[in-house]
Amino acid sequence: MDFDDPALLKKPIKEIEEKWKLVPAFLKVKGLVKQHIDSFNYFINVDIKKIVEANNKLVCDADPLFYVKYTNVYVGRPDVDEGFNISKPTTPHECRLRDMTYSAPISVDIEYTRGTQRVSKAGLMIGRMPIMLRSSNCVLTNKSEYELAKMNECPLDPGGYFVVKGQEKVILIQEQLSKNRMIVEESKFGVQCAVTSSTHEKKSRTNVVCKANKYYLGHNSLTDLVPVSIIFKALDVTSDKEICELIGVEDISKLTPTLEECHTLKIYTQLGALKHIGSKLVAKRYVTSASKMKTPVDEARDVLATTVLAHVPVENYNFRMKAIYLGVMVKRVIEAQSDKKFMDDKDYYGNKRLELAGSLLSLMFEDVFKRFNWELKSIAEKTIPKIRATQFDVVKYMRSDLITNCLVYAISTGNWTIKRFRMERLGVTQVLSRLSYISALGMMTRVNSQFEKTRKVSGPRSLQPSQWGMLCPSDTPEGEACGLVKNLALMTHITTDVDEYPLIRLANNAGVVDINMSSGMSIHSPETFFVFLNGNILGTIRNYKKLIHTFRMLRRSGLISGYVSIYPNFLHRCIYISSDGGRLCRPYIIVERGRPLVTQNHIIELEKGIRSFEDFLHDGLIEFLDVNEENDSFIACYEKDITDLTTHLEIATFTLLGVCAGLVPYPHHNQSPRNTYQCAMGKQAMGTIGYNQKNRMDTLLYSLVYPQAPMVKTKSIELTNFDKLPAGQNATIAVMSYSGYDIEDALIINKASIDRGFGRCLVYKNSKCVMKRYANQTFDRIQGPLIDTTTNAPMWKHAVLDMDGIVAPGESVDNKQVLVNKSVPTVSAVPGSQTTSVEYKDTPICYRNNEPSYIEKVLVSTNEEDTTIIKILLRQTRRPEIGDKFSSRHGQKGVVGLVVEQEDMPFNEYGICPDIIMNPHGYPSRMTVGKLIELLAGKAGLVEGKFHYGTAFGGSKVNDVCEELAKHGFNYQGKDFFYSGITGEPLEAYIYSGPVYYQKLKHMVQDKIHARGRGPRAVLTRQPTEGRSRDGGLRLGEMERDCLIGYGASMMLIERLMVSSDQCEVDVCNLCGRLGYCGWCNSCKSSREVSSITMPYACKLLLTELQAMNITARLTLNHYCE
Amino acid sequence: MSEPSTKDSGATKTPMVYICGECHNENEIRPRDPIRCRECGYRIMYKKRTKRLAVFDAR
Repeated sequence: MDFDDPALLKKPIKEIEEKWKLVPAFLKVKGLVKQHIDSFNYFINVDIKKIVEANNKLVCDADPLFYVKYTNVYVGRPDVDEGFNISKPTTPHECRLRDMTYSAPISVDIEYTRGTQRVSKAGLMIGRMPIMLRSSNCVLTNKSEYELAKMNECPLDPGGYFVVKGQEKVILIQEQLSKNRMIVEESKFGVQCAVTSSTHEKKSRTNVVCKANKYYLGHNSLTDLVPVSIIFKALDVTSDKEICELIGVEDISKLTPTLEECHTLKIYTQLGALKHIGSKLVAKRYVTSASKMKTPVDEARDVLATTVLAHVPVENYNFRMKAIYLGVMVKRVIEAQSDKKFMDDKDYYGNKRLELAGSLLSLMFEDVFKRFNWELKSIAEKTIPKIRATQFDVVKYMRSDLITNCLVYAISTGNWTIKRFRMERLGVTQVLSRLSYISALGMMTRVNSQFEKTRKVSGPRSLQPSQWGMLCPSDTPEGEACGLVKNLALMTHITTDVDEYPLIRLANNAGVVDINMSSGMSIHSPETFFVFLNGNILGTIRNYKKLIHTFRMLRRSGLISGYVSIYPNFLHRCIYISSDGGRLCRPYIIVERGRPLVTQNHIIELEKGIRSFEDFLHDGLIEFLDVNEENDSFIACYEKDITDLTTHLEIATFTLLGVCAGLVPYPHHNQSPRNTYQCAMGKQAMGTIGYNQKNRMDTLLYSLVYPQAPMVKTKSIELTNFDKLPAGQNATIAVMSYSGYDIEDALIINKASIDRGFGRCLVYKNSKCVMKRYANQTFDRIQGPLIDTTTNAPMWKHAVLDMDGIVAPGESVDNKQVLVNKSVPTVSAVPGSQTTSVEYKDTPICYRNNEPSYIEKVLVSTNEEDTTIIKILLRQTRRPEIGDKFSSRHGQKGVVGLVVEQEDMPFNEYGICPDIIMNPHGYPSRMTVGKLIELLAGKAGLVEGKFHYGTAFGGSKVNDVCEELAKHGFNYQGKDFFYSGITGEPLEAYIYSGPVYYQKLKHMVQDKIHARGRGPRAVLTRQPTEGRSRDGGLRLGEMERDCLIGYGASMMLIERLMVSSDQCEVDVCNLCGRLGYCGWCNSCKSSREVSSITMPYACKLLLTELQAMNITARLTLNHYCE
Repeated sequence: MSEPSTKDSGATKTPMVYICGECHNENEIRPRDPIRCRECGYRIMYKKRTKRLAVFDAR
């Protein structure tokens, strides 16, 4: 074909049919949580080796011969200790049930000296690493569905989380500003250019600011701002001309005030500059013997070399690179002062990096590994000088629990504290929410932002155009975390680090001039472009187009990693190459000369299974673009939009939504906030959790008895397997008014539907009990049921217990009945005294709920410490009742307002009776047109016997659906002729009716119902307790009190606030004004003036508490009538 | 570790039967015995279903 024929170019490009099939192909290799797994795999296979290699040598001052050298490190397969140094491979499910950590040993090969001998040892365990499910070391990877079922694991479970102490924990994706990049931003001094340098050793922030027309450098190791000219001189750029050249602005007059500073301070040499900087260093907190020897000049030189702009390499104190970098920073500030275009957008996703489990764990591991080595070293220093019978052998002192405990603690609490970097983050991990399959999936794609939630800033919260296709525009919570917590879109991939060395070589071969070889004049000339690699200046180039072209060609041909991105910035006149981890990227079809490279044949091959997604990448038909490179591309959404400028084509438009928003049918017809509401509610819907849900023992598990796949599906539903693990039912709804019980979004439910199982759910709760062992050889015990001697049957509380004192499965338990008849020894920590007769105190595990439950199953096992654990799973089957919450998939939630007998429900000539009647007032203000179309498409699907699609930006067309309905003799518009169920008369209007997918939400009245007349009171204040769980009172709050005051209902107030709360009779002595008792004043020793009054106990408490602090409040009593 | 003599007063002299979670073998385990299947060494046991009558509210 001749592409150069202009006539051919004009021809419309034929749409590639079934192009979306690339999405399932992508998900097959990448999976929905591939980001987590990739990142963790990178950590345990590559990064951990780098960390150990960087800290591989251990020496000590006590013995010059002594050393320990780590030669290799590897993470094994997860196992569990069986005692006697025997370990057995384990499965995640066993760990979940037995409250253990799913972890694998970290082994090292070491070489060390014992006395004068050199010894090497292989396979020494230094700790245990929690293993991410489905990562390369997990037992579940590459297993067939059958094998997974054998291990009690759901094949649809995405993995990507950890099992720590029996809890499933997710390390959330953390979003932050990218490291090692210049960011020009507004600060208190005006424009500043900031760089957060981050290397393995150091983390520091360097600012270039402008104050009073002078340019300064600020750094946290310097007490004060230092003029850049002095810094330049310290960096061995001593002539003012050269400084100007390195900064490279045309208007040198802007620099004169800065340069003048040097002359007023009489600093002309590098030594002088270093002396000046040395006087401004922050005093070191720890003075070591080595640092004592250093002069301020040496120290300043060291700080400049290693701490200021730490990521710019300095070899042999050659500061050239750093000077150029600093020059560019100053230039950026000067440019931004005159032109606001040069300001960087901090919310732009090209400037963001996502931190995943792997990188977070590697920070943690590096820290604890350093501590491990440091502890070994201090042990060696302490023990070697001592004369001992046996030679010092470090291996004996290598304890594995330091590393193990540190990692387990971090993951189980979510407290990420790394002292070295002064990093302290809370809530990094969360318990994986297993309310429904979607909530678990949604959690794996969640992105947490580092901004404080309290700050009222709109910037980081608002939708950024650059998050298109990377982060879901709909899925964000409402309220305080709105816009700060985000979710990944369906096809987003997060990069891991790629080796820089081949990229540097390639860049040099492509014509990049090494920065150290170019003169100060030439680097800032208008024709040259700077080339940056991961924030470091690599060199300059004139023919930048060739460089970009070469890089992209090599990337497409697979010679360099597909996740390397290169893009120009014409404003900065820079070419940026990035290969760092944490960038968001997503695949696109490559378009060349106005034609997409993927053709129909490719798709046919894909369907046949000849081609996989990786082949598309390998053949250079599809490539990954990160946010920055996306902005240097022309991306067409559809084939029809392709022009001769177009470089890429979208694979499928619906992938711009995330997992949760993907459930909504016809989301493009809904008002946008409705989709956001559904994203929040889809996570509360009951349904199926996984194929292994009956084997699980969660603290709380909801599941639907008869879940159904939705009639109107979307492509995302199929891709996320929601149709296999659904959470909802297709209810036939009639949009009409019925009685007054349907106002304010309430639903009318057909009682017969409930009887047939609509909305019926199972609620599983678990009771856990650990049999502890104590230091004095005593332990908890369980006793059998107590037998009533008169009836010779167990007492009522123990009625459901077996002979072993644990409830039997299948039994129904009522409120306050005992589940485990446990008792603990009263004396637990008395050493020495023999266990002659141990006193026990009963601590039974009781059932506390007004509704009875059935015992589903009882598990007895041991945990890691070999203590017995007993888990009891309780089951309740619940039918929908008035007040239970339901919602459709369009953010239309409502509670059941009335349950109506089927006889009274409207019916049509087919005898169809709706399951739910919904009030039409729900539509106009909410504008959820998607729900109307879902109903129509669902109805057509019923009569046709197929599923319709409501995929975003596509799906079945309303016209086609209506035509289908008409074909089967139904109304074209989906309306039906209904008769009143009460009178039997035809209804005056045609009723819009059909199936809509309804979700039952976890909020049920049974868990919330609460009333109290009398009940428990708090001990201190004698006021009623708070909260439903403590059978608390219903509070008359401050605002309610205000109403009563305003109304003047004073006696009512007294009743609410005192009589019904903490009324108390107090004896007051009117002589001294203090409180007495029993009609006697103890301070006056008299009962003459003592009278009894009523007051709130809280008031009496206040008076006595004040007395305890030596303050006497005296009361003066008056007769009420005086 | 001496077994408390007062323990369970005859009630649990008869060992209880538990079912192994792996091989479904029935194991007789006495209180304070290690919880471990005699057949396969699996450490998770389940209790047998009650022999008492259970009435369900079929609604």
